[in-house]
Amino acid sequence: MAANTGQGRSFATFLVGLTVGCYGIASFSSGLGKLAFVAGAAILIGSLFGFLKLKSLEGKPAQKAVSGSMKLVGAFLAALGWIVTLVGVHLVDSTGGRITFALVGIALSLVGIIGVLPAAFNKNAIWKT
Amino acid sequence: MKSIRSSCLPLCLLAFAMMSAMAIAQAAAPAAAATPPPPSASSAELKDAAGKAPATADLAKGDPGGTLTGTINDVPVSDAKAGLTLPDVASQVGQNKIGLNFTWTLVCGFLVMFMQAGFAMVEAGLCRVKNANHTYMMNFFVYGCGLLSYWLIGFAIQMGGAAGNANLGGLQPLAGEHPLSLFGKTWGIFGQSGMFLSGHAYDVGVMVIFLFEMVFMDTALTIVTGACAERWKFITFSVSSVLMGAFTYPLFGNWAWGSGWLSQLGSNVGLGKGYCDFAGSGVVHAVGGITALAVALIVGPRIGKFNKDGSSNPIIGHDMSAVLIGCFILAFGWFGFNPGSTLGASANGNLRIGSIAVNTMLAGCTGTFGALLFMWGFKGKPDASMSANGLLAGLVAITAPSGFVSPVNSAIIGLIAGVLVCLSVTFIENVLKVDDPVGAISVHGTNGLWGVLSVGLFADGTSNYGGSWNGVTGSVTGLFYGDASQLAAQLVGISTLLGFVFTFSFLLNMALEYFIGHRVSAETELAGLDIPEMGQLGYPEFVFRAEAEIFTHAPRDFAVA
Repeated sequence: MAANTGQGRSFATFLVGLTVGCYGIASFSSGLGKLAFVAGAAILIGSLFGFLKLKSLEGKPAQKAVSGSMKLVGAFLAALGWIVTLVGVHLVDSTGGRITFALVGIALSLVGIIGVLPAAFNKNAIWKT
Repeated sequence: MKSIRSSCLPLCLLAFAMMSAMAIAQAAAPAAAATPPPPSASSAELKDAAGKAPATADLAKGDPGGTLTGTINDVPVSDAKAGLTLPDVASQVGQNKIGLNFTWTLVCGFLVMFMQAGFAMVEAGLCRVKNANHTYMMNFFVYGCGLLSYWLIGFAIQMGGAAGNANLGGLQPLAGEHPLSLFGKTWGIFGQSGMFLSGHAYDVGVMVIFLFEMVFMDTALTIVTGACAERWKFITFSVSSVLMGAFTYPLFGNWAWGSGWLSQLGSNVGLGKGYCDFAGSGVVHAVGGITALAVALIVGPRIGKFNKDGSSNPIIGHDMSAVLIGCFILAFGWFGFNPGSTLGASANGNLRIGSIAVNTMLAGCTGTFGALLFMWGFKGKPDASMSANGLLAGLVAITAPSGFVSPVNSAIIGLIAGVLVCLSVTFIENVLKVDDPVGAISVHGTNGLWGVLSVGLFADGTSNYGGSWNGVTGSVTGLFYGDASQLAAQLVGISTLLGFVFTFSFLLNMALEYFIGHRVSAETELAGLDIPEMGQLGYPEFVFRAEAEIFTHAPRDFAVA
């Protein structure tokens, strides 16, 4: 089906929701601000469900389903590496210790990003069929 | 062939060693000459000077030599009765400084804005002709998507707590950083002032910093379009770009540039001068490149990119001239990117703009050499697209350290970037099996991280932007010049880019995958995205050459009727 009027309308709704929601945040201290925030969030969510309805009408993309748990493991490892680095900054006072913790954290993140995730996405890749 | 390889590597190593030796020799710079005593001026002297200024009758005769125009008579007088006073002159000097800095920052921002044209040409040129309109349109529309979301909320999150910049008059309306108290220290998390540029943010200085930061943000957004070209739904690209401009980029931007916690690593826990990223190797390029990797993983490789055995097929772009001209446009725009990041040309050590501009040129040059010689020596040809990526890689890598390093070190950083981009492209394609049509992940992600790291290694401690950086007295100094703690701060920044930015981008785009879906249908992909997605061919009068069979058939299970 490709690009269509439904997508255009849903995107316009999404932008209206974002604008109204942002106005709500900007003036959150007032009653009108709180109302705008709630209205904006509702419009945003509505636009997402509008997109979801259109998604099923589109043709099949050239990709297969990927294991959700492996995707989460990859993302978790990436985030865990960052936490290790932050903990290291506070846990040790020496520069060498902090550099070591940061390097361990970076390595852990890389395991998630270039180890687990590509393997998960390539497991059932289309080019293997 | 073997002899070329065997002679090329020692030559490169020799050049590298010579540049390193020169860098060390430069470390001991001569001391500055004694400064002259400050000038003095009394009211009598001012009146005397006003009396000697050219009369209106003289000016009416014309001033072809330019010696009569711009005199003491052009200084505004606050009280006509009292005439010109010292406070009048001092105010004018202050306004001149700010005016010069405003002009400098705005003009540099205009240059960075023009980089969008360069990105469009590079990305579209590296794509097939059947996707030209779609790729150009993504690069065109990302400007609007980014600008809108940044104006709504992104700018406030990033710069809403960035008050105190003396170059732009203080930016006092932006004093709303949201703090978090942790481990006995206060850390900035996100800004809160400046949404819609309304209220107190309706301010001349705020407008200047908004324009400059906005075009930087848009550069980050446009990186993603290259990595996902030729199969990304236009609607999902639009929503993803809006969200990146609203949240992903501004959050990291705040932490690094908007008084956030990364910039406070120096003042709070003694890590050098805090995370230092002069013009955005990390904030702009690594954020864009890492987000590009996250989305490219989700969207998957193009049909025909990989064979069943995992080997890859080259998918040649349609216009190499557009790629190379686009690269020159980008290199031109980079003179706004890096020197403009002083946010001024007057006071606070801003005269370093000359060295920043030269560092930028040099790193681009050696980046080109690094990639071109690598490809020529190891693959047999001075590959045009990889040479172009070498230029960009050098420019990306020098972006963070450009304000803190010497020209020799810039050349070394660029040369390494040029080789690194070739290795990274090969690794991402052949090992990770991630399809990146333009090499955006390698150019901006890998070399963005290298640029951030190189600050912690090569910063030579000679820069002096008002005597301190990120609130810590002294100059930014890297490991090779005696401060290992700066390297630690840079590593924390890299860890944040990988751990936070990647995860945040990945989860955000996984949500979009659920609601909208990132990838066009197999039918659309095979036909080319121009007609199904945009309704119009990029080059309607061209006769397309038939593609190889592997690019014209959907894999089994995705057969197109």
